Amino acid sequence: MDGIALMATAMRAAQERLDVSAANLANVSSNGFHKRLTRARLTAGGLETETSLDPAQGPLRRTGRAFDLAVAGAGTFSVREHDGRVAAERSGSFFRDAAGHLNDERGRTLLGQHGPLAVGAGATIDPSGVVHDGGAVAGRMEMSAGASLASGFLEGSNVDAVHEMIDVLDAQRAFETAQKALGAIDETRNKDANDVARVRS
Amino acid sequence: MYAAASGMAAAQQTLDVVADNLANADVTGFKSDVAAFAALGGNASLGTTEIGTHLLFTQGKLVRTGGPFDVAIDGAGFFQVERGGCRAFTRAGAFSRARDGSLQDADGWKLDGVRIPEAATRVDVAADGRVTVEVAAKPRSAGRIQLVAFVAPEHLRQVDSAIFAATEASGAPHTIPAGGDRQPKIAFGTLEKSNVSIVESMMAILAAQRAYEANAKGVQAADEMLRIANNIHRG
Repeated sequence: MDGIALMATAMRAAQERLDVSAANLANVSSNGFHKRLTRARLTAGGLETETSLDPAQGPLRRTGRAFDLAVAGAGTFSVREHDGRVAAERSGSFFRDAAGHLNDERGRTLLGQHGPLAVGAGATIDPSGVVHDGGAVAGRMEMSAGASLASGFLEGSNVDAVHEMIDVLDAQRAFETAQKALGAIDETRNKDANDVARVRS
Repeated sequence: MYAAASGMAAAQQTLDVVADNLANADVTGFKSDVAAFAALGGNASLGTTEIGTHLLFTQGKLVRTGGPFDVAIDGAGFFQVERGGCRAFTRAGAFSRARDGSLQDADGWKLDGVRIPEAATRVDVAADGRVTVEVAAKPRSAGRIQLVAFVAPEHLRQVDSAIFAATEASGAPHTIPAGGDRQPKIAFGTLEKSNVSIVESMMAILAAQRAYEANAKGVQAADEMLRIANNIHRG
């Protein structure tokens, strides 16, 4: 591969790394956020960036609200999106509506094993996802096997600001290095084309 | 660059909310606000956006004050108050007797359902809200404080620091059925402090400051990279 084109892909890879790190940083206080990891790979087409989700658990933060839910450890619970799709979720602040259903800030509804859960104001949810209301069992959350639920907690973002900042600086330097290399190749070519074969007049 | 800028905006919004909470840390019956953020645009890295703020109705500390008409709610629920035909709800129970015998707070919000006769000497409020007074050494009923609850109190609208109005999302107020095990109790002679935790607010401020700085670095780095790209030709 041509050196200039290769360096151009290296610059683009650095740019993509910066974009991902900046978006991670921006979500340092978004509850339930999981950061994206980047990995550069050298292919026939130059440097390519792959991203993946970091599954590491974010810090569990105490809120004291009974309907703030977070999964401790591995696993997920189910919510229903606006369009009816069922999504897996790890943490969320839920609010009761007039029907007693629990919805999060984005209007997604918490699912029990038989459709949306309807709960009373004083309901509590135990670690296995069983909803207790006034001494009786009012329902059971739809959860992945073995998941343990913490009621009164939210999972914080798993972004580490310091780590991410270093990544930002690192990406910037990588970009600069590639640009310098590109400039050097350009300069060499310039010499090749204009000086080496110069005919003295 | 815009992703990092959205992070700076988020840190700023967090600071605004925390500052408002702190400013009201000493207001009786004040409830803190919480801002929530979420990633913008699925797998693409677009930054963050505020998805809303909600009120946090955890119990504030009950403090014995000895004020003659101070009441606080131990548990969920609200006092119903009214001013100039406008109905509102509050957990701040620092009332005093107005000339017409009603109980009002400092801003003139009048508590529903209670009339204290002028000749009353001793006032007592039972845990279920029944108000008794002593007139000429004889006990007499002076009404009852009826608490109400909401389906979704988080969506109440803040009218004043500790005064709330019902909204469509919060639902209409409903009375709390008696005899449940989570029946709120009225504590006479006490006031509910705000539920703002100074320590937690300070930590939130520090975190927001750091987030702001880190994101500012992100903007700088993106800007620097554009500058470098502009200089490719000059090497």
